[in-house]
Amino acid sequence: MSNAIDQTRRMLSLVTYLRERPGAEVAEVARAFGITERELIGDLNVLPMCGTSFRGGDLLDIDTDGERIWWHNVDDVAQPLRLAADEATALLVAARAVAGLPGLRAGDREALTRAVAKIENAAGESAEGSARVGVTFEAESHVFADIDRALSEGRRLWLRYYSHGRGGMTEREVDPIRLLTEGHTYLEAWCRTSEDHRMFRLDRVAEIRVLDVPADPPRREPRDLSGGLVNPSADDPEVVVEVSSGGRWVAEYYTHDRAEELPDGGLRITLRSADPSQLRPLALRLGRDGRIVSPPELAEQARAAAREALAAYGEGRD
Amino acid sequence: MAIAKAERLMNLALCLMNTRRPLSKKELRESVEAYREAWQNSSEDAFNRMFERDKDDLRELGLVIDVDENTLDGELGYLARADRNRLPEIALDAEEAAALTLAARVWQQAKMSGAASGALQKLRAAGVPFAEAESRTALEPRIPAREAAFEPLLTAARDRRPVTFDYRKAGAAAVEQRSVEPWALECWRGHWYLAGWDRDRGDARVFRLSRITGKVRAKSGAFLGTVPEHVDVRATVAKFAGEGATATATVRVRRGAGFPLRTKALSSAQVDEAWDELEIPYGNGLGADLAEFGPDVVVLGPEELRADVIDRLRAVAGLGVVTEGVRA
Repeated sequence: MSNAIDQTRRMLSLVTYLRERPGAEVAEVARAFGITERELIGDLNVLPMCGTSFRGGDLLDIDTDGERIWWHNVDDVAQPLRLAADEATALLVAARAVAGLPGLRAGDREALTRAVAKIENAAGESAEGSARVGVTFEAESHVFADIDRALSEGRRLWLRYYSHGRGGMTEREVDPIRLLTEGHTYLEAWCRTSEDHRMFRLDRVAEIRVLDVPADPPRREPRDLSGGLVNPSADDPEVVVEVSSGGRWVAEYYTHDRAEELPDGGLRITLRSADPSQLRPLALRLGRDGRIVSPPELAEQARAAAREALAAYGEGRD
Repeated sequence: MAIAKAERLMNLALCLMNTRRPLSKKELRESVEAYREAWQNSSEDAFNRMFERDKDDLRELGLVIDVDENTLDGELGYLARADRNRLPEIALDAEEAAALTLAARVWQQAKMSGAASGALQKLRAAGVPFAEAESRTALEPRIPAREAAFEPLLTAARDRRPVTFDYRKAGAAAVEQRSVEPWALECWRGHWYLAGWDRDRGDARVFRLSRITGKVRAKSGAFLGTVPEHVDVRATVAKFAGEGATATATVRVRRGAGFPLRTKALSSAQVDEAWDELEIPYGNGLGADLAEFGPDVVVLGPEELRADVIDRLRAVAGLGVVTEGVRA
């Protein structure tokens, strides 16, 4: 359900839109405005309650039979409205960020750059605020062309991929689903090797080959990514980390279930991981800023790794 | 049932847009049913508050509402002049429109995504030929803004209003109240940063939004300092993240391991069957980065980096701190 502000915003555009299109189809208008038919009917129920002058008695005579929309007393009031500052900012910041995205097809980039200039021009002073907001996506384009080709041709990919958790390279065959960029760019794919849905960070792909095999990812609903791109599942094992104030960044970088404040500015963070041993790099990184509370095996793995590493320095004994 | 807010706002907007002379508050109260109800059922005050809020909301939506003297009775009145509210001619071709449609979808934040689709709706209503939005490229960029401070800071930066907020510096045990003139917001690697003038420190500062705790409060008054023409938030943040380093470090990396180090190595040479020697940029935070690799990396130099990594490993191994050659 949309809020009153978004609904008003939409209805103001709707009257302009309907003015030019007598007998517009409900389905088409809903699609054009990116709303459900139900939401559109909701708007169409409100509009006839709206008068067009302070004298009253001249309500918008807009009605629908559920399929088409008619406006019987079309009025001059419905001129196209200027862009609000927030509208211009939201659109321009997004368009500039996408135009600067490595891996975007050249034609799309050029079209977007032209569109940005035209919007800036039409928005006038409303566009000024957009200079105050910037978004940079990471440049990880060396494998992009192959992934783009595999996606458009529906083909399987072979990857030599760096596993951050294990610290080594793995070779996998994957069926690509889509590319997502949020800070870094990720390939969402069905991994044939692990028979699971995975996110591969493009800057960790060492080698890539488009295979002569059609991709065949299992069909399923797109995942809900509102909490972030890399989301553990609710039945993954729990990992508890206690950090001092110097280790609070863990809560900023790892999706977690809970972060409880500790005395002296520390945190007790509960997160989930399908394979807690993959968090060994985190455990090693923490140093004096924190420790793994559970599972004990993870703490022990990190301890053993640290001792082994210290041996190379001639350290490791008290 | 009370009349829905959207209906009220729509009525007010249409009244203001459709008049040639300024309308007084009294005239508006009489012509918008919801106002009449508020006035009759509660008070003049209730109507006034409602009207002021609605006027602000419509202005947020981009409506330019002028306040002028009514020539008839000299009373103050309101109107939204057609020439001040019209979208200028804009000729976008189908390709440009499609590219914009994709771009407008990147916001993962409710207010920004609402504003971006609002902009597209206005353009569409003005006749821009938006076709069925098909996915032209398989790439889905997303701009997150999960930080609660994002919205109030965006508004404050736009309106040039100073703000205060509680902030926990990286690694600090306690939060501290900061008083800031917000200049610009930047999203880098999926995290939001604010650049602004820190009034107490009398200097420009960069803040990470996820470290702002509690509410961002807008203060009255204007900025005291001038806003720089160009604010490079990204360069400051990247430097803190260890990028743009000019110093180098020498490390040994086990064959087949340490891929991220290899991609940024300035040089690489094989030592023996098991080890390679890499020269890598030495920026902020490298010690922590190297400790992650555990036994797959050995630092050869410089000495301070080597000591840093050893100290980190000793902590994880459950060993004491090394102090001036004496082990605690």
